[in-house]
Amino acid sequence: MERITRRRFLKSTALVGTLSATGVRPARTLAQAGKPYAGTRLKMSQVAHAYGVGLVERLPAFEQQTGIKVEIDQMSFPVLNQREDLELASGSGAYDVMQLIFIRSGRWIGAGWAEPLNPFIDDAKLTDKAALDVGDFVAGAMAPFKRGDTIYALPWLSDSTVVGYRTDLFEKAGYAKFPETFEALQEAAAKMHSRQTAAFVTEDNLHWIFPNWLLSYGGNFFANPPGDLTPTFDTPEALKAAEMFTTMLSKYSPPGGIKLDPSVAQAIMHQGKGACYLDGMGNTQHIIDTKKTTLADRMAFTHTPRGPKGHFPQLAVHGYFINKASKNKNAAWEFIKWATGKDQMLWSALNKGHLACTRSSVLANADVRQKFTWRGSDLASLHLAVMKRAGEGYMVYRTVPQFPPVGDRVIIAMTAIASGQTNLADGMKSLQKDAEGILEKAGVKINRRS
Amino acid sequence: MNRRAAIVAATLLLLVVVLCPVLFIAQMSVRTGLEAFRMPPALVFTPTLQHYVDLVEGKFIRSLMNSTVTATSTTLLALLLGVPAAYAFSRSRFRAQGVVSLWTLVTRMAPPIAFGIPFFLIYKELGLIDTRTGLVVIYLTFNLSLVIWMMRAFFDGVPRSLEEAAYIDGAGVVTAFVRIALPLSAPGLATTAIFTFLLSWNDFFYSLLLTRSEALTAPVAIVNFMNYESWEWGKVAAAATMIMLPVVALSIAVRKYIVHGLTAGAVKG
Repeated sequence: MERITRRRFLKSTALVGTLSATGVRPARTLAQAGKPYAGTRLKMSQVAHAYGVGLVERLPAFEQQTGIKVEIDQMSFPVLNQREDLELASGSGAYDVMQLIFIRSGRWIGAGWAEPLNPFIDDAKLTDKAALDVGDFVAGAMAPFKRGDTIYALPWLSDSTVVGYRTDLFEKAGYAKFPETFEALQEAAAKMHSRQTAAFVTEDNLHWIFPNWLLSYGGNFFANPPGDLTPTFDTPEALKAAEMFTTMLSKYSPPGGIKLDPSVAQAIMHQGKGACYLDGMGNTQHIIDTKKTTLADRMAFTHTPRGPKGHFPQLAVHGYFINKASKNKNAAWEFIKWATGKDQMLWSALNKGHLACTRSSVLANADVRQKFTWRGSDLASLHLAVMKRAGEGYMVYRTVPQFPPVGDRVIIAMTAIASGQTNLADGMKSLQKDAEGILEKAGVKINRRS
Repeated sequence: MNRRAAIVAATLLLLVVVLCPVLFIAQMSVRTGLEAFRMPPALVFTPTLQHYVDLVEGKFIRSLMNSTVTATSTTLLALLLGVPAAYAFSRSRFRAQGVVSLWTLVTRMAPPIAFGIPFFLIYKELGLIDTRTGLVVIYLTFNLSLVIWMMRAFFDGVPRSLEEAAYIDGAGVVTAFVRIALPLSAPGLATTAIFTFLLSWNDFFYSLLLTRSEALTAPVAIVNFMNYESWEWGKVAAAATMIMLPVVALSIAVRKYIVHGLTAGAVKG
């Protein structure tokens, strides 16, 4: 056995001491072979959602495979909005991976808070492009997160507006199928509405619901977004759309129907107090939850009605992005690849009911199609069709940085008109004026009309 | 007798009206999702504790613990610092007394949102974001003024002559404070303590702003049951019931003192 001399002992001690002091350690203790990010701790923020629950459930496999530890903070949507905005604005870097909220994408990307993903995607050492398959994400879901060819987030949730309705009630009123236009829907509502059963139910996020009418009647929020952001709430088209929409709210909704959060709107359908429910797929699909209703076998789903100018269902998309202030960007990318991967999304669709997904391969999957076909309504096809339609570009109004405050003002206007606090003309005039003020304060050049 | 019966009936009616939201939440917490919103509601149903089980198995207990630790620590510290200060304001006479006592209210002179961003930035630099210590410090800033102003009024109600008698017997200021003024202000102390505890316990804004996950308190944790797709009403109701229980228990434990405290001085000429 080799004898340890005093000199050798001192040399070894000095070497270990120097390496420790400089932070240099043998490679194997930093990362095991094939696990370059072993020991990295990531923090992620996202809305409380079944998809997040699915990520948490399968996280151990990811952590074992990569050696990365991930803490996922799931919070309600209002909390997420506030927290992410504050964390990003302060440059805290507390969260490595964050949820890119559709209507805030313009502001956050514009402010440079989201790390461009192309360098990660294009680096063969970091990404197996074939496995990631960026082209598999439906174009309509990718659009809000791209600026030119630069990708800032990968989408995991796309909420498309659809209608869930009671086939028995519509048949009783003489409608073999759901009305295809907003005029026809209003006529049907006039026949069907009663104190016991409201003809029309929707949620209170009215800047999300109203555009289904607004765009279908030829109106828009802005003159030509994103180039010309002059508000256009005073046009004849916008006035007609607002009249049709607020009439549905004031005459044919349940009591308090202007302020129903999605959960209450769903409960109204569950109890048989509503004939149809127009909202995002993520909400609408729950009206057939057999744990909450005995009426599921009388429900069906279809597209939102069209207006004189066509069919403009709405699409809200949420993605995962790397916080520019994160110190663990490569590990964060590793996580995003996994979290938005085909395998995870398919598993979520089949096991967590995540139909509002963003990959065409998942929506085309035979098992998914079978799972989400309800009484002849193929929900996956419905959802895919809306995503493709929205991919044509009309949703761009929602991703301009100034949309959130203007959207909030739209909610106030629709609520005031529908509740009779103001008449249609004054309400829209006031909305136009305030929206112009919001944009001018934000430094946007507009052609003032009020 | 009829008059008395009418008063009892009116009291009971008022009680039902006041307790209605509490009873509604409590019964909802033991109903299944299917039963929760059934119209008309079924008066006879099979109760379930599943929502409570879900809370215990989830992260809510940690949030409840955070609320307990921060509210209790704040209350104790606020009393420890604020009660002697209130005594000093009550008994001492110094030149800038009015100005100083007014300045203790400065953190309550504007809505919390006004202080939110500065606090966030300072906390970020100090590493106090998402810590219980950070919450206790912030709660102290607005609870101290409450303690000082409430306790000062109670100390003002204690005759100085009692302490002066103690001084004649050789007691110092501390002895007079601890052994005479404080015991006589016990009802006020209890009232102040419970108000301080409630303010911290129910705080939503600062917890929302200054925590992430580790120090998240129960009021914000409840909001997080409002999922993107649908709200978990059963969990919301169960969590609300759990949040109410410690406060109800505390209120019952010190109710005698609270009544004394609230009516102190009411019959003095």
